[in-house]
Amino acid sequence: MPLDKTGLKFYFIAMLYIKRGNLFQLLKFLSGGYRVFVPSRKGDNIAFTAFGESEEDYVIGEFRSFEPLKAFYFLGREKVAVDFSPENPRNDNPPCIVGVKSCDLKGLKILDFVFMDDEYGDPTYMKARTAGLIISADCTKAAETCFCTAMGVNPWPEQEYDINLSEADKGFVVEIGSDKGQKVIDDHTALFQEATEDQIHSREHNRTSVKQHIEKNVRKKNIPPVKRLQRIVRKNFESDIWSEEAATCVECGACNVICPTCHCFLLYDQKSDGSLARYRIWDSCMIKDFARVAGGENPRNRLWMRLRNRFEKKFDYFPSVADEIACTGCGRCIAACPGKIDIRQVLAKLSAPR
Amino acid sequence: MKNPYRSIEAEVLSVTTETPTIKTFLLKPKEELTFKPGQFMELSAPGLGEAPFTPSSDSEIKETMEITIVKVGKVTDEIHKLKPGDTVGLRGPLGKGYPMIRFIGQEVLVIGGGVGLAPIRTLMYDLFHMSDKLSKLVYRGGCRNPEELIFRKELEGWMKRDDIDMVLTVDEGDDTWNGPVGLVTTIMDGIDMNYSRVKAVVCGPPIMMKFATFKLKELGVRDRNIYLSMEKNMSCGFGKCGHCRIGPYYCCKDGPVFTYDMIRDFPGIWD
Repeated sequence: MPLDKTGLKFYFIAMLYIKRGNLFQLLKFLSGGYRVFVPSRKGDNIAFTAFGESEEDYVIGEFRSFEPLKAFYFLGREKVAVDFSPENPRNDNPPCIVGVKSCDLKGLKILDFVFMDDEYGDPTYMKARTAGLIISADCTKAAETCFCTAMGVNPWPEQEYDINLSEADKGFVVEIGSDKGQKVIDDHTALFQEATEDQIHSREHNRTSVKQHIEKNVRKKNIPPVKRLQRIVRKNFESDIWSEEAATCVECGACNVICPTCHCFLLYDQKSDGSLARYRIWDSCMIKDFARVAGGENPRNRLWMRLRNRFEKKFDYFPSVADEIACTGCGRCIAACPGKIDIRQVLAKLSAPR
Repeated sequence: MKNPYRSIEAEVLSVTTETPTIKTFLLKPKEELTFKPGQFMELSAPGLGEAPFTPSSDSEIKETMEITIVKVGKVTDEIHKLKPGDTVGLRGPLGKGYPMIRFIGQEVLVIGGGVGLAPIRTLMYDLFHMSDKLSKLVYRGGCRNPEELIFRKELEGWMKRDDIDMVLTVDEGDDTWNGPVGLVTTIMDGIDMNYSRVKAVVCGPPIMMKFATFKLKELGVRDRNIYLSMEKNMSCGFGKCGHCRIGPYYCCKDGPVFTYDMIRDFPGIWD
């Protein structure tokens, strides 16, 4: 049923529905002004691809993508200044990311805290965040490594999205999260219809069952309650757990690059094509030289100190300065670690009596 | 929107060799660039890398800026190769600097060591400009040997001023040295000051700052009155890149000058 624009607010409260085919129609329209990325199946993983390839492989629901959302807002390696020009060298269309999961949206809150800033804000990040579009989606499955509920995050988006999609009845129940999202729908009303009670019921049923699944995993892992995490990390400052847990770390930095809240970077200058280029590249606090000064002193000379620092940053620093735990429960670091260091297990050990 | 990563072009006007490993560069930025004592700049050898340095010149001189640099690594090696007429990049000023207003009416004790004398020089110019507003100005400086004493002539000139009580020491003397020999902590006793109210500024190598801080505490100086110029690995200089975190602070954004009570409880502050 095409929407009557005069009654839009009413329809939004009543909730909308979009067929899968119509969603791709909408994305085609959006491709005109945005760089649109959609999660697709890549072997055992789900990874983002630029919209336009085979639609059958698109995975809007399921669970979080292999790569963290930050990869679109804060590139792994990005030219940030050329010669002495004040211009931002990046000038492409803003991103529209589809199928973003709730954990990654929490991650954006941390990155916003760091990079959205009147005086020293990152121009590329701020442009992508203010002009970009986020079409998020409910999780319809959970990976073995998922533990979002332990970090106070539900497996369906509740913040930071423009439009949210909940898989139901070969399409999606649609929810609007911002004026930007509302405008997209206003501009394409013919693609939407009112959601039926069955469709909404199916969404609620899915949400409950995915949450229960994750909660079961969380209970098995004995992850301490989110409110206690800061105290637990502080209390264990001198604990042996850090060196025990760091024993298998190979300092590859995978946990840093794969983490949706890790934001550390390095500025790197080089000459290229006859001009001077400054790059911002992701850096890793697990690597030995991260905090070493030119004179040679290193406040975190030992590997276990760097592991402790990583936990401090996430569970003590960010709660102190931004009132947010900087772990989203996405579990990517668990999947990525060649040393099998499991953040859930570290937290459980830290909270267990010794 | 401002691009915080962009450097301003500056010309090297002259290069002074202070010691075999320390040079002072006189720079002329092509755009207006002012700073306060204790603030720092990211200086880049174009296309080769950037590193943080605190200027060593008078902050009231607006057209040019001096930066004194020890050769310790990749970027400083490149900077040491620069000649007059060459181009560098400057990004800043960054950080908070010294709270000069808190020194008004107070007894100020400045402790400088080694190349820490460079940023201290900027502070001293400002303190001299306001010396009629200070209740007392005391300087205790030190370095390894007379050869490594940067700005020696200028420092010896200061010793003749009547608005300052100044003593310099070296760890190891030579024929040219008539002053005391020993670590800077050995010339901190017996100064005619009310230590419990003194504002103390310490800048130097980490090991010197550590022992000077402990000595100040022993003399009765309060933690909140000890201003330390901290050195941490910095990249962006404005609290985003994550390298220089000290507890809840970033050394670049919240410092690099901290009072000891702010940071005393955090690990690795002297490393």
